[in-house]
Amino acid sequence: MTSQFVVGQDTVILGIETSCDETAAAIVMGGNDVVSSVVSSQIDVHAEFGGVVPEVASRAHLESINPVVRRAIDEAGIDERRIDAIACTVGPGLIGALLVGVSSAKALALAWDVPFVGVNHLEAHLYASFLEDPTLEFPLVVLLVSGGHTMLIEMQDHGEYRLLGRTIDDAAGEAFDKVARYLDLGYPGGPAIDRAANDGNPEAVKFPRAMMDDGLNFSFSGLKTAVVNFVRKNPTVDSVDIAASFQQAVSDVLVHKAMKAAREVGATGVVLGGGVAANSRLRADLQAACAADGIGAFLPGREMCTDNAAMIAAAGWHRLRALGPSRLDIGAFPSMPLVEAGIADG
Amino acid sequence: MIVLGIESATESVGVSLASSDGVLASVEISRGRRHAESIVPCVQFVCERAEIELAEVGAIAVDVGPGLFTGMRVGIATAKSLAMALGIPMVPMTSLEVLAIGQSTADEIIVPVVDARKSEVFWAMYRRSEQGVDQLNQPTVGPVDDLISDLMARDQPTVCIGDGAHRYRDDITTGFSCVIGDARHPSAADLASEGVRRAIRDETVEERFVEPVYLRQPDAQINWSTRQVRS
Ligand SMILES: [Zn+2]
Repeated sequence: MTSQFVVGQDTVILGIETSCDETAAAIVMGGNDVVSSVVSSQIDVHAEFGGVVPEVASRAHLESINPVVRRAIDEAGIDERRIDAIACTVGPGLIGALLVGVSSAKALALAWDVPFVGVNHLEAHLYASFLEDPTLEFPLVVLLVSGGHTMLIEMQDHGEYRLLGRTIDDAAGEAFDKVARYLDLGYPGGPAIDRAANDGNPEAVKFPRAMMDDGLNFSFSGLKTAVVNFVRKNPTVDSVDIAASFQQAVSDVLVHKAMKAAREVGATGVVLGGGVAANSRLRADLQAACAADGIGAFLPGREMCTDNAAMIAAAGWHRLRALGPSRLDIGAFPSMPLVEAGIADG
Repeated sequence: MIVLGIESATESVGVSLASSDGVLASVEISRGRRHAESIVPCVQFVCERAEIELAEVGAIAVDVGPGLFTGMRVGIATAKSLAMALGIPMVPMTSLEVLAIGQSTADEIIVPVVDARKSEVFWAMYRRSEQGVDQLNQPTVGPVDDLISDLMARDQPTVCIGDGAHRYRDDITTGFSCVIGDARHPSAADLASEGVRRAIRDETVEERFVEPVYLRQPDAQINWSTRQVRS
């Protein structure tokens, strides 16, 4: 079956994603035609804890996985026999959460006698842009910003990445969560800060921009501390102004370094990925900076920035075409790196 | 009626195929704890060896716990997705039930005890019957002392089995005079065989109604330092 498997424009892939707090399934044809995309979010389940609780997440994934897969197939309006392959996130992420998706995906592949392909979640975030613009030209610089990651990556070709820079402490999304919690703006922090900042003045407080002229790495823990110290000393300053000023500081650093990276590698454009890529300030600032430099700014729609399974299916399509299926005896890789993606191929 | 049994609620993982003729093929791995890696290859192996196509399987029996959360979830997710994809019903059984069914004693009370970690155990009491075993009380979780109190309250000849009975053998036999049976882990062959009997009696359920039996709330303490990668 798998040896003569040809991956083409009519190849239909079922993508599955369970690495953190979203149970997602999608049907994607030809690597970029999103036929259906279903995301069941656990935000409400985790809100009372102010963060993702791994055991709670794993339980919710097991409850949702089959209904979500069923809905993705139903909404696509296809017969399940039309599915050519199953792609699923195998890492990085929460081990117990990943294992629900991997187990389910391998079972579906076995029952329907189609290939299974393990996908790196970070790589999938890069592919979210290709879902909307399959004609993107290399080399590209990818700014991947989420609750777990803040990275600048050079994408030289499909499957060829070079890590240019990363956070040395907190991820940008983590800083959003912590500051939102401190300001009592709610959970998750990204959208909460974004909303509050809408009504605030981004120049009200000049928070530090760490490591601006210091290579392509990031640091966000000092910024979080600066916010806490400022609020302690100035309890009367409106929290919307704090939120707007904090958000501006994060955006300034991210955009500055992304543009610097793009100039260094001669990129045709900057691709934005990860949950923080939904932030409206960051999107606007990056777009303006890219326009000023005369290069492309590729910003996937908000629903494609946050965790979803369409990007998993898209990455799976490319991986299947380049490397073939994964073995059915692989498990999950909780701290899987993006570069030298450690999936056992066979 | 051919039934595929998937067992992964404790440290052991097993897959078995059974029919009304008995067990057709069975594999058990009690070392390594690589449940997610092993189950699907084990399913392929038993099908190949028994020369059975998955399409011939009429129902999936699965151990729904209680046990190790991650291990049991891997088995349940695999079993439920297989059942959904194949369009066949399921036979869910608790780990305690599967252990009890495998105990070939006649008169004693059968008490499967599954290690619940954190100095606790899962247990329930069974008595052999015409149809297999009758459950005498609801499965519970608690410290070994609670199990001993439970045994003393019933005060009948008893055989305790399962990894919890072995781990706390000294505590249990000091507190209450009983036999510790050989069985450590629920057997996939027992699960599949009992699955056949129940499937023949039409005691199957739809895949969407099969749920894990955790018997314990998640440890919901946020510890920022151990919070894992989120992306
Ligand atoms: Zn993500």
